Amino acid sequence: MRRVLEGSHAVSHAVELARVKVISAYPITPQTHIVERLAELVADGVLDARFIRVESEHSAMAAVIGAASAGARSFTASSSHGLALMHEMLHWAAGARLPVVMAEVNRAMGPGWNIWADQTDSLSQRDTGWIQLYCEDVQEVLDTILIAYKLAERVSLPAMVVLDAFFLSHTYEPVEVPEQDEVDAFLPAWEPTEILDPADPHAFNQLASPEYYMEFRYKIQQAMEDALRAHDEIDAEFGRRFGRSYGAVHRIPCREGERAPLALVTTGSVTGTARVAQAALRQKGIGVDVVKLKLFRPFPHEEIRRVLGPYDRVIVLDRNISFGSGGIFASEIRAALALRGEQPAVYPFVAGLGGRDITPQTIESVVARALGDEPPSDILWEGLKL
Amino acid sequence: MSPVTFRSVRDLPPMSRSTDTMLWNRTGSWRFLRPRYQDKVAPCAEGCPAAEDIARIQILLGQGDFEAAWLRIREENPLPGVCGRVCYHPCETACNRGEYDDPVTVNSLERFLADHAWKLGLSPPPPEPAAGGGRVAVVGAGPAGLTAAYFLLRLGHEVDLFDAREEPGGLLRYGIPEYRLPLDALAWEVGLILNEGVRFHGNRRLGSDLTWDELSGYDAVFLAVGTWKPAPLGAEGEEHAQDGLTLLEAIRQGETPEVSGKVAVIGGGNTAMDVARSLLRLGAEPAVYYRRRLQDMPALPEEIQEAREEGIPFQTLLAPKRIEPLPQGGFRLVLTTMEILDEDEGGRPRAVPSGHPDVEVEVDAVVTAIGAGPSQGAPAEVTGEGLVAEGLHLKRIAPEGEWAARPPVLVGGDLVNDRKAVVTAIASGKEAALVIDTRLRGRDATSIWPSIRVGRKGGVSMNRYLSGDRAAQQDHVVRYDELNTIYFRFQERRERPRITLEERRTGFDEVKMRISASLALKESERCFHCGQCDQCDNCYLFCPDVSVLRDLRAGTREINYDYCKGCGVCVVECPRNAMILEEEPR
Repeated sequence: MRRVLEGSHAVSHAVELARVKVISAYPITPQTHIVERLAELVADGVLDARFIRVESEHSAMAAVIGAASAGARSFTASSSHGLALMHEMLHWAAGARLPVVMAEVNRAMGPGWNIWADQTDSLSQRDTGWIQLYCEDVQEVLDTILIAYKLAERVSLPAMVVLDAFFLSHTYEPVEVPEQDEVDAFLPAWEPTEILDPADPHAFNQLASPEYYMEFRYKIQQAMEDALRAHDEIDAEFGRRFGRSYGAVHRIPCREGERAPLALVTTGSVTGTARVAQAALRQKGIGVDVVKLKLFRPFPHEEIRRVLGPYDRVIVLDRNISFGSGGIFASEIRAALALRGEQPAVYPFVAGLGGRDITPQTIESVVARALGDEPPSDILWEGLKL
Repeated sequence: MSPVTFRSVRDLPPMSRSTDTMLWNRTGSWRFLRPRYQDKVAPCAEGCPAAEDIARIQILLGQGDFEAAWLRIREENPLPGVCGRVCYHPCETACNRGEYDDPVTVNSLERFLADHAWKLGLSPPPPEPAAGGGRVAVVGAGPAGLTAAYFLLRLGHEVDLFDAREEPGGLLRYGIPEYRLPLDALAWEVGLILNEGVRFHGNRRLGSDLTWDELSGYDAVFLAVGTWKPAPLGAEGEEHAQDGLTLLEAIRQGETPEVSGKVAVIGGGNTAMDVARSLLRLGAEPAVYYRRRLQDMPALPEEIQEAREEGIPFQTLLAPKRIEPLPQGGFRLVLTTMEILDEDEGGRPRAVPSGHPDVEVEVDAVVTAIGAGPSQGAPAEVTGEGLVAEGLHLKRIAPEGEWAARPPVLVGGDLVNDRKAVVTAIASGKEAALVIDTRLRGRDATSIWPSIRVGRKGGVSMNRYLSGDRAAQQDHVVRYDELNTIYFRFQERRERPRITLEERRTGFDEVKMRISASLALKESERCFHCGQCDQCDNCYLFCPDVSVLRDLRAGTREINYDYCKGCGVCVVECPRNAMILEEEPR
C-alpha cells in the first residue's frame, strides 16, 4: 500500500511489520518520533510487544540485549549522544552475538550543541561489531529495517540502520508499505540457537581467557565476512519479492553503458542530491558517475575495488570527520583501493557537517575542484568559511 | 571436576558461554572477609524491662503464627494481656521506627496476641520438668509475685504464693480500674499461672496471718507486697482527705463509694488519673491538682490525655496547704501556688512556693493520690538500710540479726523499684526466680548476670538463662543508622480504636478496643525486625555467587563458604542488620 510517511514513522511501521517483540528506547531528537509511534502502537495493542521504559540509552541497549538473549526479536533507536552513551553496550551486543536492530538517526555530536545531520555519531561506533547500513530515502529506510533483521539474524550480529537527521527522519515521502503476509514470508520468526533457557542453564558471556578470546574475535570477523555475502543475497531476495533492491555499493552512471572519468562516492540522503547534480552537470557536458555506498560494516572491500578501481579520479564526500585524519568513508575507501598497485586519485571532501546543506551547487563545486588543477590531498574542505 | 578445554575455533560456541559448571572453581578461597548471619538485639527488647524478644515476636506475628508469638512473650513475661493494656511501653520509646516515622504500636500488638489466645481459649503447653527441687514462698500476688511464682515453678521449684487479699493480682486486681484492665482478662491470665501448679493462699497478710516462723521453713522467700500504705499529704487537716488507692480498691471490690459533687484529686501519677477518671465514671466532678506542671506529671502521657479528653480539669503548680471543713458540709481546700526551679529533685524539677497568693477552692471531697509507702506487714528493713542490691529490679534483706538465721529474703516490685510499674514488677519477679534458682543450685547469680542481660542496659532474659550457649549471645543493640532503610516505606502508625467519649464518661467499659487480626498484621508489617533475620531473602537475591543456601522448611539461611567471595553485598543489603562481615581468620 502506498502511503505518505514521515521517515521516522517508516521505521516504526517497518518494526511493526517485522513483528518485533521487545522495544526499549530513550528519547532523543531527532529519533524520538520513531519510538513515540512504536509506544503508541504497543499501547493501542496494534503491536504485540513489550515496550520497556528506561532511564538512559545505556539501559535501553542493555534491555534489548537481555530480550534478545532470551530469544525475542528486539529493537531500539537512538542518535548522537544517546548512541554514544550506548557505546559499551554496543560492544556487548555484538560480542554476545545478538541480532538486535537499531535505527540510528545521524546527528552531530556536541559541543557546540547541534541536532542536525552529521555522520560522526554512527561512524564513531565503527569498531563495535555492528553491521551498518546507510539509507538514501524514506522507502529505503523502511525496506532496510526488514533487510537488517534478516541479515542480523542470519549472521548473529547486531545491525544499525542509519538515516540522516531531518532530511530523512522528519521528511514525508510517498512510501510503498509492504503487506504483512509478504513481510512474514520474507522475514519469518527468529529461531535463535543460543538462548537463555532456565531448563538448560549456562553462564553467558562470562570470562574468556587469553586462551580463547582471540578465537571469539575471529568468529565475529568471520560473521562479518559472511554478512557481506548474506547482504547481497538478502537484498536480491528482497528485490525479487518487493521489486526494490539497493546493493551494498551501487553505481549510478552518468550515461548508461559508459564510464565517466570521475566517480563521486556518496552516502545517506546526499546521494539523492548527487543524482540531481549529476543531471545538471550532464547538461553542462560534465560526466560524473555517482557511487552510492550503503553497507559500511562489513566493508565491501572487493566491490569497492571492482567499482572504483577503473576510475581516474574519485571524489568521496564525507559528512563526518575523524579529527587528525579526515573523512572516514574516504579513509576506508583509500585503504581498500591501496591493495592494488594502480589506483585512482582520491579527492576526500569534508562537507555539510552539523547539518549544513549539501546542495547540488556544493556537489558541482567539488566536481569542479576535482577536475581542476587542485592536487589530491589527505583532506579537502568544501564550503568552509575561511 | 576440572576446566573444559577447547582445541579449536570450531569447538567454541559463538560467544563465551559455559558448557559445564564452575563448581570446580572454589571461589571461597579468594575471600578475605566473611559474612555471617548474626541476630542482634533490637532496641525495643533492650528497652523492655521484661526483656521480651519483641522483634522476634513481631516476625512470628507477621507470619500469622499468633500462638507462637504469644508463647514467645510468655517465655519472658507471663502477663502479656495485662502489659498489653497497662504497660508504659518503653519499647515504643526505644523503637528505631520512631526515627523513621512513628514507633510500632508494640503495646497494642502485645494485647492483640494475648486477647487472641484468650478468645480461642489457648493454653500454653505444660512446663517441662526441671531439676529445681526447692521450696519457695512468694509473698504478695501482684505482678511481681505472680511472675516469680510462674518462673520458679517452670524452673522446677515448689511455690506457695501468699497474699493479704482474697484473690491474687495485687494492684492489678484491686487498684487498676476496670476500664483499663477488665477483671475477666486479668482472671484468665492469672489463672494460666496458677493452673500450672502454683499453690495460692489468699487472706494471708504478712505479720498477722503469715509469720516469719512459717516462712523460715522455705528455702527462699520473695517478698513483693507492694506499697499500699498511704503517704502523708503534709497539709493541715489532711485527716479530712480520703486515700485514693483505698477508693480504687473499694470500687474494684464492687462497692460504690459515696463520693459525689466536686472532688479535688491531689497528685499527678497514674493513681491520680485512675482516681479522677473513676470518680468521673461514678458521676462526680473530679479536678486534678498537681504541684508541678503538666509535663512533669509521672502519669503516662496517654493517661493524662485520656483524662483530659474526658473533660477532667487539671490545675497545676498548686500544692495543698490546708483542708478546712465547712459548716454547711464540704471542705475549703487551700493551695499554695508553686513555681519551678531549674533544679533536679528526684528526677523531676524542683517546685517551691512562688510567693503569689494562695488559691482557695470549695469542694465536696479531697482524695489524695501522691504515692504510698510499704504495705502493712512489710518488715521495717524494706524501707532503707536493711537492703542489699541483688539485681536490676531486685534487692535482698541483709542477712544480719534475726535475718541471718532465716532463708534468703529477696525483695521486689514497688517496694524497691524506682519506677513503680507493672512491667518493672514483672522484671523483679523474674530476677527473683533467677536468683533463687541459681542460689539453690549453689551458684553465684551475679556471675551469670552479664550474659543474660539483653543489650547493655536491658533486663534479664529467661530464654538466655535457659539456653545453654550464653557465649553466643551478644549485646549489640541495632541503631537506626545501622539499618538499610531503603527497603522500608513510610506507613502510618495505627493507634488502637477507643470507645466513644460518652461511653467513657458514664461507664467502666474498657476504653481501648481490641484490634482485628488484619489490623495487627498491618501494624506488625511496620516493624523493622531490627537485628533479626525474617527471611526477607535480600541476601539470597543479591548474592552474585549464589552462595546463600536456603532451607525453606526450617526457615534458615546459610552461607556456602566454598564459593562466597566475601564481597559483603548481603551484609550491606540486609535491611535489618542481621548479618555481619568479619575478617577471615588466617
